[in-house]
Amino acid sequence: MSTGSDRPEGATPAPVHWAHRHLLDVDALTRPEIELVMRTADEMHDVLARPIPKVPALRGLGVTILFYEASTRTRVSFEVAAKNLSADVVNIAAASSSVSKGESLVDTVRTIEALGADMIVMRHSVSGAPYLAAEIFGGSVLNGGDGWHAHPSQALLDLYTLRSRLPGGSLEGRKVVILGDVLHSRVARSNVWSLTAMGADLWICGPTTLLRGYEAWAAKGAAGRRFTVTSDVDAALKDADVVMALRIQKERMASGMLPSLREYAARYGLTQERLRAAKPEAIVMHPGPMNEGVEIAADVAVDPRSVITEQVANGVAVRMALLYLLAGTRRTEAGA
Amino acid sequence: MSGSEQTIRGWAVDPAAGREGAAKIALRDGVLERLTWLSGADADGISASGTLILPGLIDLHAHFREPGNEDAETIATGLAAAAHGGFTTVALMPNTTPPIDEPSVVARIRAAAAASGSPVRTLIYGTVSAGRKGETLSAMGELADAGVVGFSDDGASVRSGTLLRNALMYAGSLGLPVIDHPEDHALTEGAEAHEGLIASVLGLKGWPSAAEAGSIARSIAILEDVVRDVPGARLHLTHVSTTEGLHAVFTGQGKGLPVTADVTPHHLSLTDEWIAGARRWSWDAPRGEDAELIDPWVSGAIVAPPFDPSLRVNPPLRTADDAAACWVHLGMESAIAIATDHAPHTEVDKHVEFGWAINGISGIETALSTVLAGVTAGQLPLMKAVAALTTGPASVLGDRAGIMPGLREGEPADLVVVDAGATWTVTAAALRSKGKNTPLLGRELPGVVRLVLAGGRVAFAEG
Repeated sequence: MSTGSDRPEGATPAPVHWAHRHLLDVDALTRPEIELVMRTADEMHDVLARPIPKVPALRGLGVTILFYEASTRTRVSFEVAAKNLSADVVNIAAASSSVSKGESLVDTVRTIEALGADMIVMRHSVSGAPYLAAEIFGGSVLNGGDGWHAHPSQALLDLYTLRSRLPGGSLEGRKVVILGDVLHSRVARSNVWSLTAMGADLWICGPTTLLRGYEAWAAKGAAGRRFTVTSDVDAALKDADVVMALRIQKERMASGMLPSLREYAARYGLTQERLRAAKPEAIVMHPGPMNEGVEIAADVAVDPRSVITEQVANGVAVRMALLYLLAGTRRTEAGA
Repeated sequence: MSGSEQTIRGWAVDPAAGREGAAKIALRDGVLERLTWLSGADADGISASGTLILPGLIDLHAHFREPGNEDAETIATGLAAAAHGGFTTVALMPNTTPPIDEPSVVARIRAAAAASGSPVRTLIYGTVSAGRKGETLSAMGELADAGVVGFSDDGASVRSGTLLRNALMYAGSLGLPVIDHPEDHALTEGAEAHEGLIASVLGLKGWPSAAEAGSIARSIAILEDVVRDVPGARLHLTHVSTTEGLHAVFTGQGKGLPVTADVTPHHLSLTDEWIAGARRWSWDAPRGEDAELIDPWVSGAIVAPPFDPSLRVNPPLRTADDAAACWVHLGMESAIAIATDHAPHTEVDKHVEFGWAINGISGIETALSTVLAGVTAGQLPLMKAVAALTTGPASVLGDRAGIMPGLREGEPADLVVVDAGATWTVTAAALRSKGKNTPLLGRELPGVVRLVLAGGRVAFAEG
């Protein structure tokens, strides 16, 4: 376990024992726990730098990747992470429909358990679905994204990426802007928990129709989370340390929430010109997949300040760390 | 009760007589022979927190699923559940398969009720529209002749203003109410939870209060237009759940319009923070603008995992402020009744992803207990609460149904004896309903029903 090998950087946080059997959201994680994930990801990062980036940490453990929604980067990232840890990986692409009602989630999870899985990495289009899986499953459930609700591994890899880029590795007081369709975004929701937990000055920005609900959240400050919500993109970007653009989907026009992609790009798209309001060294992020020319200009996406490809690379290290930590709780329980 | 005699002492509450107090009732052969109000030493040891003697409860809104979904509930299991909950009269919603849109379905349900042997009185609503499709009128006159007590397309609002207008006029001429489920469906498409802090944080699609208030305002405007020509027209709005919706009802009543409303036990007692994993009663949840206090994530209120699908219901669980408004309007009688909206469902429909779970809570057996919990917490005087479960719903059904709840001497006893000082734990085995879909599973509730007499016969007796 990594608690014995803390790196000598700044104040050494108190050693933490990882106590979560599942990782369903980041809301339940304390700051020391998040830091434990970061330190463990550092070690995994070192593993990835080796000629053969493979360790036997999860040998003999079955990891089932159960995706009810199409995904390339997250699914592949988890698969690579699990294989790097020598887990036995099974991939399931399940049909996702409430109407077809072929096989219930409860039944699927029981079947996966009977087939010997120790962990399930799950992606689902309905908010909260992994909680139902966790209720049924005897092993660990790792949420790979559920509906509009949460995407904990993405939030943690975003944090990991920022930590490696920001001077001093600290988010304390840094102005971070999440720009775009936050209403339908599980990435935004998970980032609210993790970024505020780490002390960032979080700003949420987008057209009012896509901010709905965040005003109430910011006003009431669930669990003491303090952040700022605005539809004024210039105010949001002013002196920002970090700007994260979110994807705009075409469905938003059909549902009447936006007039057009053209208008969105003109009013909210992250362009070089807009980015001038931010700090000169501001970091540009995007969880992907990107619509270049809509929420982010092509030249911004490939700008030296952009860490978008780094996010993808860091995703493997962070997911290895999460699988490793969850496997640790399994071993602890089995040994107890 | 044939040939038997029984005396029961307790705190009697009789809204029809406007009286409550220590009392003794004598029953003989199922007839309430004597009701003696006690005072002085005779009343020693009797209080409103012990044994209660109430008129048989009336539920304006229940789904017994037969015909069509007997795996979820049957008339027989529904009636057994009703009796266990203290109800001696139930009015059944017509969203069965086939729906109750013509007299043969009414006959079929009456036959099932008779075959069950239950003495609980079964009342039946017909649909507003043929096939419950919201297009043309059901066989309203024939249904009225077959004895239905009102018309409803419950589960959905009557979307077409023209159809609602015609239904109010036609039903009004028959002396029967139209019971509408207020919901502007354009505002609730795909909605999962009350639009507010909880839905925002959990990433659930918001169900705005405006969808209810807007629908109610529209229906009342149509009613106002109709009553000029058809004075007998009556509109009843069921399971009103928001401050704004209740205010719209109150405003309509202020104009003297024949509009009534009911609220449900779950909207009185539960809130949307249960979806986040809180498990406190609505009246124990802090209210108002104090951000720190109302936030369940900081106040240590989260004690269960989020997204329990048994909490998915239409209309959705609202805020503590909305629940408080439900109690206030019961106090003012702008909401005249508490109706259970008992909605039993199977595991296969309910134990699924939150957003895909079918709407509804199995609630007829926990209704009295949750209301008593609210009364004990000071939300409403006991007399008002009992009225909302007896005389209130009777007044909505009207003269044509002819239900007269009360503790009247010389008549077949129709009453419930409940021990308000005792508690019971809600378990799947304890529920007579086939529907175990209640968020109260595992919870200890006050108020144990000891005896229920319906029309002079034993509907439920403990043991």
